[in-house]
Amino acid sequence: MKKIILLFSLFATTLVGCDKEITLELDDSQPKLVIDGSITDQAGPYFVQLSMSTSVNNPTRINGVNNARVIITDQAGVKDSLQLVSNGLYRTQKIKGVEGGTYNLEVLVDQKKYTASASMPQKVNLDSLRINTFPFNGEIRYSVIPVYSDPIMLGNSYRFIQKINDTLDLTFHVFNDNLNNGKVNQRPLRGGDDNLKIKPRDNVFVEMQCISNTSYTYYYSLNLQSGAGPGGGTAPSNPPSNIEGGALGIFSAHTVQRKTVTIR
Amino acid sequence: MRYKIYVFSFLLCLGVHFTPVAAQQNYVVSGSVRDKQTGESLIKAVVRIQELPNAGIISNEYGFYSLSLPKGNYSVVVSQVGYETLVQKIKLDSSQTINFSLQTKNVLKEVVVESSRKNDNLTKAQMGTETINMSAISKVPVIFGEKDLLKTIQLLPGVKSAGEGNSGFFVRGGGADQNLILLDEAPVYNATHLLGFFSTFNSDAIKDATIIKGNSASQYGGRLSSVLDVKMKEGNNQDYTVNGGIGLISSKVSIEGPLQKNKSSFILSGRRTYADMFLKATEKFKDNILYFYDLNAKANYQINAKNKIYVSGYFGRDELGLGQEFGIDWGNKTGTIRWNKIISNKLFLNTSLIYSDYNYNVKLKNGETNFNINSNIKDVNLKQDYTFYANGTNTLRFGFNSILHTITPSTFSGTVINSVSKEGRNGLENAVYLTNNYRVTNQLTIDYGVRLSMYSLMGGDVYNIYENGVLNSSIKLNKSSFGKTYINPEPRITTNYRINDETSIKAGYARNVQHLHLLSNSVASSPSDQWIGNSYNIKPEIADQISVGYVTKAFKSNFEFTAEAYYKYLQNQIDYKDGAEINTVSDVESVLLYGIGRAYGLELLLKKKEGRLTGWVGYTISKTERKIEGINENNWYNARQDRTHDISVVGIYDLNDRWSISGVFVYNTGDAVTYPTGKYTLQGQTLYQYAARNENRMPAYHRLDFSATYEKNKTKRMHGSWNFSLYNVYGRENAYRISFKDDPNDPTRTQIIRTALFKWVPSVTYQFKF
Repeated sequence: MKKIILLFSLFATTLVGCDKEITLELDDSQPKLVIDGSITDQAGPYFVQLSMSTSVNNPTRINGVNNARVIITDQAGVKDSLQLVSNGLYRTQKIKGVEGGTYNLEVLVDQKKYTASASMPQKVNLDSLRINTFPFNGEIRYSVIPVYSDPIMLGNSYRFIQKINDTLDLTFHVFNDNLNNGKVNQRPLRGGDDNLKIKPRDNVFVEMQCISNTSYTYYYSLNLQSGAGPGGGTAPSNPPSNIEGGALGIFSAHTVQRKTVTIR
Repeated sequence: MRYKIYVFSFLLCLGVHFTPVAAQQNYVVSGSVRDKQTGESLIKAVVRIQELPNAGIISNEYGFYSLSLPKGNYSVVVSQVGYETLVQKIKLDSSQTINFSLQTKNVLKEVVVESSRKNDNLTKAQMGTETINMSAISKVPVIFGEKDLLKTIQLLPGVKSAGEGNSGFFVRGGGADQNLILLDEAPVYNATHLLGFFSTFNSDAIKDATIIKGNSASQYGGRLSSVLDVKMKEGNNQDYTVNGGIGLISSKVSIEGPLQKNKSSFILSGRRTYADMFLKATEKFKDNILYFYDLNAKANYQINAKNKIYVSGYFGRDELGLGQEFGIDWGNKTGTIRWNKIISNKLFLNTSLIYSDYNYNVKLKNGETNFNINSNIKDVNLKQDYTFYANGTNTLRFGFNSILHTITPSTFSGTVINSVSKEGRNGLENAVYLTNNYRVTNQLTIDYGVRLSMYSLMGGDVYNIYENGVLNSSIKLNKSSFGKTYINPEPRITTNYRINDETSIKAGYARNVQHLHLLSNSVASSPSDQWIGNSYNIKPEIADQISVGYVTKAFKSNFEFTAEAYYKYLQNQIDYKDGAEINTVSDVESVLLYGIGRAYGLELLLKKKEGRLTGWVGYTISKTERKIEGINENNWYNARQDRTHDISVVGIYDLNDRWSISGVFVYNTGDAVTYPTGKYTLQGQTLYQYAARNENRMPAYHRLDFSATYEKNKTKRMHGSWNFSLYNVYGRENAYRISFKDDPNDPTRTQIIRTALFKWVPSVTYQFKF
């Protein structure tokens, strides 16, 4: 369905008069804690990044929170107190991520407690990356299809991080199996914008993550909001996540596989 | 049980009115009112008796009227705006049939919009009602030079546009799906073409349209906010004529003529846009498709003096394609067969059989794989509507309406997915209604009635029941079996008190119930929006509206001032959870949220109806809010279309016989939107933090349009006119979208980008008629 919105905005742009930068009076609310943590099936350590949000008019950067107590526990009873590296980045000491494992995060900042719980799905194998070509407005366009066989059980979610010649594609690529449950995936990863077109001889790197449905909804909401405005997109809000206590961000447990393909 | 009491008490009231009049010896004069040149029936023509100021009636949708009078000699006065008033002397000593044919006024200084005509208050108490005559709006400037019904009604107070150049509209704080749009009685589910820039109504095939803002009489029902009742032309039953228009992006032609002179006629009208021709000319977009076409057809046949049949149909389709990769097409089909029967000179019956269909198809092709999405809503509708002209002071209208809805939500198919064939859901919507127009005194008129609407879930699909968002149980209804039935009484009353010939005050209350709901994942309407009926979770939407009004005329009725205030309370409103995938989720009901809404406002309208300068100034101050369980921490928030101030000015000035100029100015408070209240970095990306929903405002919207019309000498046969218009004269860059993104030159800085759609849009249209 995102495709339709995309198409509409495309037709709308053909009519568009102009884009202009403007200034707006924004009421900057209280800065909030942002938690960005993940446990994967790769060897540790794993990291949790804590930062504070800032005013839209300030420079964008990570305002690290360094006075927190960060603890991750697993169902086997392992309790890991994370160590501060720098600028709000905390590192695990001993915990090990495994498929099917459940991890609980506890963050204490200024006497306030934030918690989150995440379970790592079973890994679905990334078989290969396939190159997909299609004609578009008189030229050949390229995209990459991650090839994997979705398991029989409904409810698998995936996230793909795409880099084109080391440039990160800013689209949150998330798939689920609502429509193609149990099938071999043939859906391509689309480039977010025209500035990041895939050309012959480009190296495309793809990281596939098997994620929980909660994470899926988190990233999918962010995608919906990127088209905000009349004619597409929904009223933006902070995306629903698994963090309790009023912080932004997400705590995810997922598997990781990486592959690179050269376009020819 | 409660509805039984309602019905009973209304019947009781009716009885009370009948008794005192029964003693008099009355005769009935009845017949039809028509246009002399074309034979088109005239709707809402006023038929009154000079000698009896208290007696009068307005012709119904088919031009029929009936009056009960005591024996005597009378002068019958028949009037209709744009027509010469006709006075005919009659000697009434028996009941008789008299048909009137009115002559169009020589110099057409027509009134563009008219809510009340001279002596109008005599016979009706309606509130919040405006009628638009299509031939009269031809000089109002519009975008792309395509005169458009839906864009003209947006210039009325209380009616708001869904966005720049958009045909979608909101009435008194309601949603776009809360307007009942009828084309010859058939509901039109998506009234827009080409992403909303055009309406489905080809102005050449339309006679007139009436919008009723929530206080509709009880023969209408099914939507909360408004009724837009669009009537197609019947066709000239005197002579053949061809009408057409050639514009920059569309052309149209219509042909009409008699099937049997004086008795039967037909009209055929077609329209096609060719915006894609321009795309084809460019190298970059040459593989793209973007067009729509539509076809209107109507015929009527008079069987005898008492029976007449009308057949009308509409077919429209949009095609949109992006190379071979992507295509979407959608469209409406409607068909109506109507049978007018004059049972007696006091009883008029219309029976309608109506079909309506809306569907869309999306085709995605990706190399060797393909993927389709289809959705469809289909209605078969039977209606009987009786008008009983009981006596000089009571006119009753009653009848029933039975609709079988078949709703097939988005179904996906293709080579790479599991083709899920979702079962279509059926619903049976029934209504019975009774309404009485009672003229208590010459000053006081009361319209009151009740509509009893019922919606029954029907078999063929599984209905899940959710409690607090968690699946509780499922009900599988077998085909042809009935599930839950919702029964809602909808009482409605409007009163009109005439203080003197110039001034009257009005008050009304109405309840409207809606059994079909639109699930939309965008703010403006999109062809892929889905309709869904009531279920075990989705309850009928209910709106209660109270309103008061004041109408006064000045300078020999040349100026009319109307003020109306309303308060509306909405129940069972629907929204969906954040991040919900409403199209692919296996049961869309699992992601829905429910709540309430409220809207209130004051609408002022000053019209100048006659003279070289005609037009109006409208102003609305209003508030529209929603409170949905699970959104905005369960607090009230502004609906997107909450625009505090809304001004529109429309002026048409006839310079001389050949040239006329017109202008439109609109101003409104920007939409309620949500701007970020902060930002943060997550995994290398800038994300924004939000607080309360729709707490911020888009920049105010304003625009001036101008147009000039040149009419060539009106020779006997051929008649042509040129229209030149300029949309957005002073080139204001109205914000269509405000977006936030990283500055490409300095990624740590956030840019706020305003996107404007149109700066200037000039257009030229040539209209011809022979």
